[in-house]
Amino acid sequence: MTGDFGIVTFTVFAAAVSTAVIAIPGVAAGYFLARHRGATRGLLETFLALPLVLPPTAVGMMLLHLLRPRGALGHLLESIAFPVVFTWRGVVIATAVMSFPLLVRSARTAFEEVDPRLLDVARTLGATRLSAFTRVALPLARRGVTAGLLLAFSRALGEFGATILVAGNIEGETQTLALAIFHRTQIGDDTGAMRLVGVTVVLAFAAVWTTELLLGKRSAAR
Amino acid sequence: MIELDCAIDAGTFHLEVRAKLDAEVVAVLGPSGSGKSTLLEAIAGLRPAQGTIRVGGERLDGRPPEQRRVGWVPQDVALFPHLDVRANIAFGARLPAPRIAQIVEILELAALLDRDPDTLSGGERQRVGLARALAADPRVLLLDEPLAAVDVVHRTRIVPWLIAIRPGVPILHVTHDLGEAAALATHALILREGRVHAQGPVERTLTAAYAVVPDLALDNVITGEVRADGLFHVADGALAVPRGATPGVAAYAISADEIMLATKRPEGLSARNVLEARVLAIDGIDAHDAIVRVSALGHELRAKLTDAAIDELSLAADAPVFLVMKSHALRRVR
Repeated sequence: MTGDFGIVTFTVFAAAVSTAVIAIPGVAAGYFLARHRGATRGLLETFLALPLVLPPTAVGMMLLHLLRPRGALGHLLESIAFPVVFTWRGVVIATAVMSFPLLVRSARTAFEEVDPRLLDVARTLGATRLSAFTRVALPLARRGVTAGLLLAFSRALGEFGATILVAGNIEGETQTLALAIFHRTQIGDDTGAMRLVGVTVVLAFAAVWTTELLLGKRSAAR
Repeated sequence: MIELDCAIDAGTFHLEVRAKLDAEVVAVLGPSGSGKSTLLEAIAGLRPAQGTIRVGGERLDGRPPEQRRVGWVPQDVALFPHLDVRANIAFGARLPAPRIAQIVEILELAALLDRDPDTLSGGERQRVGLARALAADPRVLLLDEPLAAVDVVHRTRIVPWLIAIRPGVPILHVTHDLGEAAALATHALILREGRVHAQGPVERTLTAAYAVVPDLALDNVITGEVRADGLFHVADGALAVPRGATPGVAAYAISADEIMLATKRPEGLSARNVLEARVLAIDGIDAHDAIVRVSALGHELRAKLTDAAIDELSLAADAPVFLVMKSHALRRVR
């Protein structure tokens, strides 16, 4: 049971760090996509949607090649003593990449609902682009943005394919709930696997239900 | 002084404006789609424009909107829905608190300060929008039909006040309502298909406005003075107006629909104003109606008549007529 507890806390911790890492770039990308039209937007949108449609193992493979010690980025990370592959950081990076598009999409939809006129008025009243964003766009889009963060968090909780390739499945080090369920099934510990399945169902239910509540409140307010 | 020499490319629409507006209140008139709102947005820095935009000698072009200090009130007002009235007014406030309190008092917003924008009526929203723009101490006010939803009672109070705060703050004022234009503005800028059709003192340019703005309310605007006798004195005569008019410089508007013409002096009529006039010209509007332009009281006034009525009275240029106006048809606009 202590093993279970460790797995759950590590999974929640990794998902939380991953969501925190993507929060600012994800919201910024959503805002950019909501406010801009044109070719760059279409290209960026397609690129950002890739993790949603590619097999997670394919994304994991690409990340592994990028981040391994002899990889393009891994080389740099190695030189600043920041190993990623087969560490908890690998879990965070894999889940961050996989959940990023979900946050961007929710944020974009929420920002698209903000009347651009309001941002224009804010500018004429002396607000810079950044302060129009923080004082007008963000407060008005806060429910959709929060829902996006929760969705990304939920996705991070259950990520498997990319995580196993980048971080491996090391007990007590990189093993998340999804990896542990797989591992226990493999070794025939079905009871242990089912216990963890129960925990993931509860966690996922809580996260998705909170998201629904937030989004529901938004449509009721309109 | 507002000096514009700019070209604005708004996708399918191209606007070129060269104008020197040496008046403190300028009405911007034109048919829908002539570029009125686009022009205000370009001055506010919300649309890219080539050329120069100067207000009070200072160049605004090339600066981001937040460094232009313009008070822009868009047609839909765009109050911040997540903020109450108080926070909306405070959003960009640069004036000291007592001045803002004064604005709130004059626009009669004190009772609304804690309300959310979505609980306000259209007129209330527009007054909050005006207060929010004024609190930011703008160097120019850009108003896009600001008084369209403000009721007549408030309008007659706001207009003189907007005129009173004028010194140093020129107002560009987009409107469809000639009464409103004449009440507020001394100059008019008339746009048509992205070009300046006419500009100059309001009395002179409004005739040009009638020609290009078919949906313009055909208001006659008469300027003069309300004296202690309660009558509205104009160049050569006086008119009875609704009772209780505050003495002072005034302008009254009357719709062309509400002016009657007679060939003989009518008797036994309840209308309080019967004036001798002379027909200047008859302009057909369509197959059934026409505008009869008459000269009376030193003004050129327009009456809308059916062709049948014109035939029956045998009206023609230079014919002497009597002009009949109910006192209650005269709306004070200034």
